[in-house]
Amino acid sequence: MHEIVRKEFSKYYSGLGAEDFQVPDMPHREFAFLQFGGEVMIRHMKFLDPASLKEYIVENTPAHIYHSSAYYETPEATDMNEKGWLGADLVFDVDSDHIRTECKERHDRWRCTECGMEGAGFPPESCPRCGMKKIDTRTWICEDCLEAAKKEVIKIIDEYLVPDFGVSYSDFEVYFSGHRGYHIHVRSQTFRMLSGDGRREIADYVRGIGLDIKLHGFREVKNELLVGPDMKDGGWRGRVARAIYEFVNRASLEDLKKAVSPAVAKSLFENKDKFLKNIESDPPYWGGLKGYTLESIEKIASASIKDLICNIDERVTIDSKRLIRCPNSLHGKSGLRTLRVDYSSIDDFDPLKEAVAFRHGSIRIYVKEAPRVRIGDEELGPLKDKTLEVPLALGLYLICRGAAEPR
Amino acid sequence: MSLMLTKEDLAKYPFLKQSAAYIESMQLNLGDLAAEEYSGILSKALMRIRDSIDRKIRPVDLSDPESEIISYPLSLALVYGSKSNWLLNRFASIEAKRVEEELRKEPGDRILEIAKFGFSWEIERVDLKLEYEELPFSIPLQSYLEAATNFNDAHWKLINRYVKGGSVFLNSGSLARLISEGFKSKIIRRASEREMHNFRIPDTLAPHMDEILRYAQENMQFDEELPQGLVSDARPPCIVAIMEDVKAGKSLSHMARFALTTFMVNVGESVDEVLKLFGNVADFDEGKARYQIEHIAGMIGSRTKYKPPKCDVLRSFGLCVGMDQFCKKAKHPLNYYRTKLKILGGSGGQTGARDRKKGV
Repeated sequence: MHEIVRKEFSKYYSGLGAEDFQVPDMPHREFAFLQFGGEVMIRHMKFLDPASLKEYIVENTPAHIYHSSAYYETPEATDMNEKGWLGADLVFDVDSDHIRTECKERHDRWRCTECGMEGAGFPPESCPRCGMKKIDTRTWICEDCLEAAKKEVIKIIDEYLVPDFGVSYSDFEVYFSGHRGYHIHVRSQTFRMLSGDGRREIADYVRGIGLDIKLHGFREVKNELLVGPDMKDGGWRGRVARAIYEFVNRASLEDLKKAVSPAVAKSLFENKDKFLKNIESDPPYWGGLKGYTLESIEKIASASIKDLICNIDERVTIDSKRLIRCPNSLHGKSGLRTLRVDYSSIDDFDPLKEAVAFRHGSIRIYVKEAPRVRIGDEELGPLKDKTLEVPLALGLYLICRGAAEPR
Repeated sequence: MSLMLTKEDLAKYPFLKQSAAYIESMQLNLGDLAAEEYSGILSKALMRIRDSIDRKIRPVDLSDPESEIISYPLSLALVYGSKSNWLLNRFASIEAKRVEEELRKEPGDRILEIAKFGFSWEIERVDLKLEYEELPFSIPLQSYLEAATNFNDAHWKLINRYVKGGSVFLNSGSLARLISEGFKSKIIRRASEREMHNFRIPDTLAPHMDEILRYAQENMQFDEELPQGLVSDARPPCIVAIMEDVKAGKSLSHMARFALTTFMVNVGESVDEVLKLFGNVADFDEGKARYQIEHIAGMIGSRTKYKPPKCDVLRSFGLCVGMDQFCKKAKHPLNYYRTKLKILGGSGGQTGARDRKKGV
């Protein structure tokens, strides 16, 4: 990495106050660093207070700074079994890379390293030409990707953490990761001692993995006599009921045909009002349509819940010993800050503006190739093979992304 | 209102703190229990262990609750002293099943009391009435997850439970099962605590210990060793799918790599064979890969031979590609492999396995 990036990172860290390096329960956390150009993580570091962490960072200027989601008795022990695990925050990692957004057609490219075929957008599972799975990707982020990631964060919190898991708004913190998405750190005691298996259940819960609606009250009592849950019910039970109601209410005949057989779809579409009224009634009634069975409901349910399941990197949630980016540290692949987001005003949060660390100065760069990029209020591109003077934050962003060089 | 616990209750539910207090009040020494005057208790304890080896669930003998109560810690000491994980698991399962059967006969309020006294779970009576279903109890989410992640059935998955406001709502049957599972974990967890590592049975009890070990040995069903080499036809669908991805040069996720490597190592493939598999992967680095495989095989580093993740974990990581008929009975890819090996012919001995081996 270029010396100029390191120098600017160093200036940024020197300018911060010690309190900006605060991490809850610091003495029990492991800290880890990745140096510029380094491949090996410097791990098992312990800092008793924010000032000594700052001192280390200013002196060494790492490219990436992490702390453990876990709390340890002896965070500096190099053998994981000797650290003495005392629990861990529950973390959700939302990464826009994993969300299929339309904007990916505009800024992402993939290439098969086997046959050389190339394309735009979300990478295919295997190469459409040679069938191999040696797919290289070159991805970028834009406002739309980050907006999609933000929506996932809101969904996790408002749809699951608060109503189902009973987490209060003071028990979690939301961070912009400094690059592709957001992290949610849940610090309540409820989750602290959860094992990996318990965390896996939580991850599966928000991802809709293993859902069986027959276990949520849907039953065939007699032929075509279907009973099921109330939309007011809690947890997935009520969620599925509401999702089906909403889906059928909004669905066109074509939408329904994609979920169930044409005959059932037609009957459902023509008797929509009656079907919805039956679900609203007390007790709700889920049958009464010709050919409409428990299996039809299962199919409609899986089509209905698509927007309700959360796109998270499950590995992060399941892992009870994960390393997570430190608040206010810079992301070495973007030069943006890992920034705490006030959840009450998350709707207005603009990560590409508020996480900008370098607010003054400019830099002359040579851009190899870049799509349209915005950092702060400055926009650029798409462009190729061009040398130009840009605001420092934008220039460092392109350099960190590997798309530009200082000139 | 708290219900009175009788001696019979303490005999039926050995995990109650009152049971432990009762035993403590008798100030017995483990070594003394080999003496003639306690022979009734000793034979009860030995029977408890033999029952568990035979998978026999014997109802609690309430004609003499006192010796029933004391026989539990004695049988537990013998099981811990045996240092046999097989016996430990068997004993814990059968003791738990017995508790579950007893609990199912109890009225709801009693189950609630027993749960409160046995564990530090904050269970509450809620009487939630749903359409065609009643859920009288609620348990904090974390307590539920602590006890219920050992279950593999779909209806124990959190997503299939009524979850609201940080609580999981249960009927009495589920609560009974949860308590018995909590009991089972308690027995097993205690065995791995540091102070248990040096635990030895007093010499006076040693002959009985030998007897138990002999009986256990005779009854261990089949050797856990797998044949030395992969039998392609016995592979579970998840492993087949990962192998196809490898063949297509896909850069595998860490979990996929781990699952494949541990699977291959556990069916007896050599490090070189496993390395060959990965040769086509886009980001292959032989030195690094060899190091990691040797680590997983327990040849270097912590010297632990790692097992593949269980089916539940593979499902969470999106590596389960759908079940076939064998998957329905298996909870673990190696289970699947063992069962299918048996069906494919023979008990899966070392010879023959190689012969059946096909290219992968």
